Amino acid sequence: MNRNLGKYTVSFGLSLALCSVLNALLVVAKEKSPAVAAAMQRLTGHHWITHSAGVVLLFVLFGCLFSLLNGGRGPQLGPNRLLGFVAGGVLTGVFLILGFYLVVD
Amino acid sequence: MNEIILMAHVLFGVACLLVAVWLLVDVLHASEANLARIRRLSWAAAGCMWIAFLIAGYWYVTKYPADKAVILKGPWPFAHTFFMETKEHLVILLLLLASYLPIAAANDLAASREARRLVLCLTAAMAGLALLVEGHGAIIAAGVKLALLAQPH
Repeated sequence: MNRNLGKYTVSFGLSLALCSVLNALLVVAKEKSPAVAAAMQRLTGHHWITHSAGVVLLFVLFGCLFSLLNGGRGPQLGPNRLLGFVAGGVLTGVFLILGFYLVVD
Repeated sequence: MNEIILMAHVLFGVACLLVAVWLLVDVLHASEANLARIRRLSWAAAGCMWIAFLIAGYWYVTKYPADKAVILKGPWPFAHTFFMETKEHLVILLLLLASYLPIAAANDLAASREARRLVLCLTAAMAGLALLVEGHGAIIAAGVKLALLAQPH
């Protein structure tokens, strides 16, 4: 199913797509909720450090967790679907961030 | 020292952009002959991005608040309210793309068309996003400059 793509390529690709969207959702959450922003500030001393460290850690965590699926063979996903997820996730993340600060905030 | 820190993050950001474009061209012509170079370059792109990110993060947390105050009082407050706010979060996305690149480039790009297509899309996305944030950086710098010029002497 993963024709020629390693299990970590698929696992971390899905993690990249997921974390791209989570990164944007975290922007919306901290800008719209002072409680979330204050909690992120408290955690490391700066909201941006918490934000970036959190997203990077989630990327590693989800990548490792996805690679354990299907008895350690990783997600069974074709290359075209993986590329669709990665492109969709990254583009959604970029446009959510740009759109939020352009229109909503 | 401040200027060196500020310019170093731009330098490594541009280096990441250039390596991404180099990779794009190399992957278009992927073969057994350049496979090792492609993998080394993908690690170089990730390394440059991590160094740029850490330096920029240090600058943003410790030095930028003074610039922010200046920008917000100047004629281009949007240099902070839109351009810096989006830049500081888009670079996280760029960091994730750069970190994923060596994993994707570890596949046999000479034999697999699918793997080549994935790495081509990643490098194109990295180059596009890096150009976007470099442009944002230029507007933020202009925001500071215009605000300082507008101050009464």
